[in-house]
Amino acid sequence: MSGSAPVLDRLPGDRRYWFLALGVLLLAWPFLFGSFWARIGLGALMWIGLAQSWNMIGGYAGYLDFGHGAYFGIGGFAAGIAMVQFGYPFVVGFALAIVVAAVLAYLVAVPTLRLTGAYFAIATWALAESIKQAALILEITGGTFGLSLPRSPDTFIGIAVPFAISETFFYYVMLLLCAATMLVTYVLFERHEFGYRVKALRDDQDAAESLGIDTTRVKRQVYVLSCVVAAVFGSVYAWYIVFIHPNDILAPIVTDRMVIMALLGGLGTLTGPIFGGLLVFLLQRLSSVFLGSSTFYLPLIGTLIMITVLFAPSGIIGILRGEIGRDDVRKNLKELGEKFDLL
Amino acid sequence: MVDIGLFTQIVINGLLLGGIYVTIGVGFSLAFGVLEVVDFAVGEYVMVGAFMGAVLAPLFGAEGVFVIPIVLVVFFAVGALIQPLIHHVTTGDRPHPLLMGLVFTFGLATFLRGSVLTIFGPNSQDVPSSLLTGGIEVPGLGTFPVVRTVTAVFGVTGLAVFMYYLYRTRGGMAIRAIAEDRTNARLMGININRYQSIAYGAYAALTGSAGVFIGMTFNASPGMGLQYTAFAFFMVVLAGMGYLPGVIVAGIVLGLTQSFTAVYISGNAVLLVLFAIIYVVLLVSPAGILGKGEWAT
Repeated sequence: MSGSAPVLDRLPGDRRYWFLALGVLLLAWPFLFGSFWARIGLGALMWIGLAQSWNMIGGYAGYLDFGHGAYFGIGGFAAGIAMVQFGYPFVVGFALAIVVAAVLAYLVAVPTLRLTGAYFAIATWALAESIKQAALILEITGGTFGLSLPRSPDTFIGIAVPFAISETFFYYVMLLLCAATMLVTYVLFERHEFGYRVKALRDDQDAAESLGIDTTRVKRQVYVLSCVVAAVFGSVYAWYIVFIHPNDILAPIVTDRMVIMALLGGLGTLTGPIFGGLLVFLLQRLSSVFLGSSTFYLPLIGTLIMITVLFAPSGIIGILRGEIGRDDVRKNLKELGEKFDLL
Repeated sequence: MVDIGLFTQIVINGLLLGGIYVTIGVGFSLAFGVLEVVDFAVGEYVMVGAFMGAVLAPLFGAEGVFVIPIVLVVFFAVGALIQPLIHHVTTGDRPHPLLMGLVFTFGLATFLRGSVLTIFGPNSQDVPSSLLTGGIEVPGLGTFPVVRTVTAVFGVTGLAVFMYYLYRTRGGMAIRAIAEDRTNARLMGININRYQSIAYGAYAALTGSAGVFIGMTFNASPGMGLQYTAFAFFMVVLAGMGYLPGVIVAGIVLGLTQSFTAVYISGNAVLLVLFAIIYVVLLVSPAGILGKGEWAT
């Protein structure tokens, strides 16, 4: 502990004004900066939402879901199949994505949540990979060709809506979804009794059980909720990006990013995924824009993860709150040095 | 009608392939036993090993075999330097030590894959070898491709040396004691930092050199790591975490499965089947098929 006041409390003036200013900025964003920045903004909002969805199960409940990206892909393919194979408008696909993800997540949750720690991580990872391989073989998902979604003004609700395919429109959809995800997380995990139950089971499952918490039930609820949130973003993303392929939206990198964002920001915190999501997303975009390399962000992120785990396990939020000071890093380094003892 | 000639040839290929998988699996299982961390970077060690073969072979007259000693030394050193980091993040007073260890190897895997991808691009490269070409005809059985045969021989030899060290030397005993109970081992006066480094270094060296052979058998590509991570997981899940003899059987099963599905079903289905098996076995019997692994805690 460095003893200094948390950064968030050092903002001058009433905090409400800062939130108000942020809200106005987010609402006016596409009009202030144009469609290129609207696209950047909607990507950032989507990834913040996805990171938060992983944070629910991985951060608050402490279950390392290494297959979470599968639900993003399932949401995308549910919407895609409804629109391409059956010709429904997007809203139907959206509803289908929620239902499919919820049902599947529940069916997966019942056996899989009995596992813990590394076993849970490997099991979800294996499941997500088999879903991806299945999508590559199945015909309804387009197999190795992928799916091309229709995108015209009448794909939203069936009748022509003039604004429904612009960058600005998708920006506001993502803003709405991201804000909703944040609100749900805040209410459920930070304010409601539910959040205390989740944190109790994370910290000590037996103790939580002995207090009369039905941990099995709570775990399943968190898992299904987090998976549905990921699927919701997946369905909108599929509609926005128009072409979906198992190697893109079911790729393990989707899960990787969610985990990394939540971890960098700070696991089990409301605002952590915002910072982590912004940082990772911008790193990736900037590395492709300024360095001309679309893969350079990977080693960069890998290094960031290792440094975070080594020196700042509570993430950016931990640093902002003043939980990790220079002394902690120094102590950490000293302990680490003692472990090098080969010769 | 099953063609007997084809059948025995598939069995030969599968067994030879299994030999090298066992090498990866045994190291991986031991690393888990000692560090209690599932190493997500295992496949990336294979990948980096294969790339070292591709990059360094031209310096040795386009002969991948000569790269092996270098890979062994480099990977042992790197592994011995990485181990303290993993040990550090899984101990001490930080919250969720297991999670941190898992995520750390995950970051390491991302770093390795991303670095190779950025430096060499997404295309696959050949690991050249002029010594290991052609095949040996065995009348009545089929052809033994030289690359795969030497690979299997290397795998079995590496494994034998490793097993000898583990079960017949004091150092090996120390490592097994750590895998059994780290705290007790420390109380017995074992320098756990040193022996954990040796164990992890040996695991990295075996896995990296297995990568060179795999590169010579197939090729080296930045995306290949995931497959071998899956293979390693498959072996230890089937065998039970930390149960070494089971890994040998599981590795051979894996080699045969891969070789049979590739011929009789389709190459695409191999991964689907493997991942599905991992998932189901974990649900039904997390301590492995024989139930002799460490129980899921």
